[in-house]
Amino acid sequence: MTHRLYSLLAASMLLLMTFASLIWLADADFFKSIMAFFKGAFGGRKYAYLLVTISRAALITGMAIAALIAFRAGLFNIGGEGQLVIGGLASAFVAINLPFGGPAGIFLVLLAGMIAAGGWAIIAGIMKLWLGVPILVGTLLLNYPARYIASYFVSHPLRDISSGMPQTHLIEKSLWLPLIPGTRLDIGFIFILLVFCLVLIYCYRTVGGYEAKMTGLSIDFANASGLKTKKISLKTLALSGAIAGLVGAIAVLGLHHRFTDGMLVQPLYAWTGIVAALMVSLIPWAVLPAGFFFAAIHSGASGMERTADVPKEIAIIIQGMIILFVASKVPAAFNQNIGDGK
Amino acid sequence: MLESIFDPAFADSVARISIPILLAALGGAICHRAGVFNIALEGFLLMGAFMAVFGSHFTSSATWGTLFAMCGGIFMALLFAEFHLRRPGDPIVVSIAINLISLGLSTYLLRAIFDVSGVFQSDQIQKIALIDIPLIKNIPFLGSFFSGQSLLFYFSLAIVIFAHFFFKYHQLGIWLRAAGENKQALEAGGVSSKKIQFIALILCGALCGLGGAQLSISNVGLFVENMSAGRGWIAVVIVLVTGGRALPLLGLVFLFGTIDSASLRVQGFGWPQQFTEMMPYLASLLALIFVCYRKLKFEKNTRGIRNV
Amino acid sequence: MKAELHEISVNFGTFCAVDNVSLSFAPGEIHALVGENGAGKSTAMSVLFGLNTDYQGNIVINDQHRRWKSPADAISAGVGMVHQHFMLQETMSVLENVILCSEPVNKLGFVSFTTAAKSVQNLIDSYDLQIDQTQKVAELSVGQRQAVEILKLLYRKSDLLILDEPTAVLTPNEKNELFQSLSNFKASGKSIILITHKIDEVMMIADKVSVMRSGNLISSKLLKNTSKDEIQQNIIGGALPKPIKRKQMHPKNIGFEMQKVIIPGLATRRKPISLKVYLGEIVGIAGVSGNGQTPLVEAIVGLRNILSGNMLLSNETISDKDVSARRKIGLSYIPEDRQRVGLALDASVIENSCVSQIRNKKFSNGYFFNLQHLRKFSEQLVSEYDIRVGTVKSKVRTMSGGNKQKLVVARELEQKKQLVIAENPTWGVDIGAINKIHQELIKMRDMGHAILLVSNEIEEIMGLSDRIHVMANGQLSESMNSAQVTANKLGKLMLSHNEPTLSEKLEKMQP
Repeated sequence: MTHRLYSLLAASMLLLMTFASLIWLADADFFKSIMAFFKGAFGGRKYAYLLVTISRAALITGMAIAALIAFRAGLFNIGGEGQLVIGGLASAFVAINLPFGGPAGIFLVLLAGMIAAGGWAIIAGIMKLWLGVPILVGTLLLNYPARYIASYFVSHPLRDISSGMPQTHLIEKSLWLPLIPGTRLDIGFIFILLVFCLVLIYCYRTVGGYEAKMTGLSIDFANASGLKTKKISLKTLALSGAIAGLVGAIAVLGLHHRFTDGMLVQPLYAWTGIVAALMVSLIPWAVLPAGFFFAAIHSGASGMERTADVPKEIAIIIQGMIILFVASKVPAAFNQNIGDGK
Repeated sequence: MLESIFDPAFADSVARISIPILLAALGGAICHRAGVFNIALEGFLLMGAFMAVFGSHFTSSATWGTLFAMCGGIFMALLFAEFHLRRPGDPIVVSIAINLISLGLSTYLLRAIFDVSGVFQSDQIQKIALIDIPLIKNIPFLGSFFSGQSLLFYFSLAIVIFAHFFFKYHQLGIWLRAAGENKQALEAGGVSSKKIQFIALILCGALCGLGGAQLSISNVGLFVENMSAGRGWIAVVIVLVTGGRALPLLGLVFLFGTIDSASLRVQGFGWPQQFTEMMPYLASLLALIFVCYRKLKFEKNTRGIRNV
Repeated sequence: MKAELHEISVNFGTFCAVDNVSLSFAPGEIHALVGENGAGKSTAMSVLFGLNTDYQGNIVINDQHRRWKSPADAISAGVGMVHQHFMLQETMSVLENVILCSEPVNKLGFVSFTTAAKSVQNLIDSYDLQIDQTQKVAELSVGQRQAVEILKLLYRKSDLLILDEPTAVLTPNEKNELFQSLSNFKASGKSIILITHKIDEVMMIADKVSVMRSGNLISSKLLKNTSKDEIQQNIIGGALPKPIKRKQMHPKNIGFEMQKVIIPGLATRRKPISLKVYLGEIVGIAGVSGNGQTPLVEAIVGLRNILSGNMLLSNETISDKDVSARRKIGLSYIPEDRQRVGLALDASVIENSCVSQIRNKKFSNGYFFNLQHLRKFSEQLVSEYDIRVGTVKSKVRTMSGGNKQKLVVARELEQKKQLVIAENPTWGVDIGAINKIHQELIKMRDMGHAILLVSNEIEEIMGLSDRIHVMANGQLSESMNSAQVTANKLGKLMLSHNEPTLSEKLEKMQP
């Protein structure tokens, strides 16, 4: 017990030292930075920054859930970024061309995002099952085409020329996600919470979730026991992609109200989601606090940049270091066939 | 149109563009053969690129810049070794974390130290020298491929040749292969596989660091945020698909380099920038599908295995 | 050399694997260390070889206290070990494997293969081994691989040879040849430690016998001062299990049949396989591992495609059906590899008990599963088979080998399917569990199920089967009535024709 306490203390000390050295390198004031961090994450007038954190947490948690579902079934889906982008693009496209608005319209737009992203993920699944391309490699390589396709569409066909930026037109107001009254926080996070609850039920109580988990723990065991692993893999990838697409659609409808080139890639939602899920060893209920935790770090860092002149990339560094420390303490979340990252 | 793509300058650019990926892939291949599942090549490469500019700027010397680059790569490799070898960290998680740290740290330092955002350029940065080989440079087409390249080009080709002999005849090379193939057998013989894997990681870090130097202080003399731009991932894919075997690895690296160069040329014809930028990745995907499908067919035929 | 272990104890966390064991090994002596699976024999020897450096007690070599930091130290002191699972690099040649970690190098670290090749060739020639040192290990037969392992010891001039279950993978003939060579080693003054759980072999060759049970040393005597019964009693620590009674069955209906099936990957010559298993009988397939049993079983279960022929289960063709369809029709499978194929180690007992049946009405309604029913079912399995585990929620990884295997057997037999395929069902399992598993298999047979038993333990095959086939080199022999077969006859049939016998080679082994 004392050994664990000791190593926890040592890790915290190291993190603090790293943090301090980085602040020093930026010529910033240490205490001012710390204050700015907490204010940026949880404070602000009428808790404005806290709401931003919540909004961000929703997106990160959503991506973490998407990663969780796939990894839990033994599928190394690191193509979350591509799926997210395709989902966001598709939802923006549908939103702009939809002849009507309102709740029905919102529903269709979200659905479009989910289907498009789910389909993008299934491409990697097909490549694996029929062409033998490992999931790790297939999903990864699809990230880049996704990014470029989206970039092309918002720079040319769908572009809002008058705005001068590579982005689509503003989506009509009736399709915007409603805000929580009195705040600027959209209800997107409620959708994510809903998905979170559904996924918990999926993981802990459904036959599908159980079979996926067994497949992830040992594919040979699953095959010998008669599980239809091919079907399970495809279904799981589709689900994982669909959730990523939902996140993209929520970002488009709730946060930005349009699709701008790079808006889903720059903030590293997908990668943060992946490491959040891995960090908690794929324990389903834990991705929610993990997502919120990382969102707070990012918001805090934004605050530090605003007030104390510390580049906000410090968040990524601290986040990475935390992952390293945590990853080396908890047991590996999955068995791997090292070699081609199946 | 074809002639304007495939001219001597094209051969020159293919060689030039391939160097960082070649170096990263070589580093990755060493890790792969030694049994270390390292997909953090992107991070190693990026850190090397930044440190090259950092070192070259403050010392006004390309040589020191290159050394700094190597140290940058080695630093990330040490992180990897600490959390994966000494501590029981899962290599995939550690890899992704290191990629993130690299991205964050390089961008952060760019802003914190150089006070700029996006790109850093300065007159003090010295670039790596290019070497002209007297007779070869006059050969049409191949001449511009082999001559007039940066020092690192010749270095990497030398590494490929040296690696062949190293893995076959040198004790450390043999131990590296043994660690990758059957760790326990090596341990039973009395050699620590962890020590061997550590060495593999350091070598990988050094090579990737050099690859980064080629990116930032060879053809150009500047650093752009996220400069590695996915090249490390291409190297990862190449290593996984070829299993670290020299000839297929070289083939895929230069294939990627060719398509990457071609895509730059093709931009001049009015094709949308995004399509041309996508070409190399799509090409890699196709090459990948080709190799993997053949392997799948082989497995199905010889062993009739039914499931994935 | 004289070697001694003084009061050695090894603990893995709270589990005591070796408890205060003291042994002595003299030159020119074959010392057998016996005990059932899990008794601690290999663990104790791993200390002597330097693989395990976390222990209490002392190692004494030639009256000097020694402490190894790694196997390298033990090796240079003259201790050599041939492990149960061969420690070989498949893609490297025999030469590279023999000299691995002890390569002759020049100042720059480059290996001088010519010098090495000469020394190794000398060894090969003086013992007349039929091994080509340039061949890749992957191409060698099992017997040849063992010869390479022994060659490794000779190359390093080991004086103390530890062999861990060396005969597990050998045909009966090869066994005799190995023992002949061990005698020759002994004659030349080397000290040999034989770790085994096979008492018959001990009676054949050992000079001294030490028995371990549950980590403790029970006895250590010269063979002439003890008896087979006494040794057996010490191993089990109680009365010998009674031989299992079986009903007189008159099998009439065919449960499972294979008609001229050609399986890819079944050795070089693809000879069609035909066999029948009637309801109410146990058909045993004997054979040394690696002669095609795995592809055969995979083809029957549905994990491997067949090229031609027909397979019928309960009179239904199953050749084109997947695993789940076959299981539904009436198949259950106890796999050889319980860690990878039989169980998901990081899942709980409950989760492991119900995978094949999760879509059964009694466990789920298709979408949601009933946790209560699952739990009850697994608790039932645990109590019926006396499975030692914390609770049914505990991870399977925490269970011992025997208990893991009992869980797999319980789960599969409980499904009461027509056909039961049992692949080495008692490998690496303690005697209590072995007995229980054998009892249950016979029970299934008596109830009218068809059992296909694939095993490389001759005693198991002969003790359980009604009819026996032998598998060698991918070919299945004709069926024989178990009452009319002797272990010798089986042994002869199990001999693979390809391999050069470990025989004549080690015949003249003298230092």
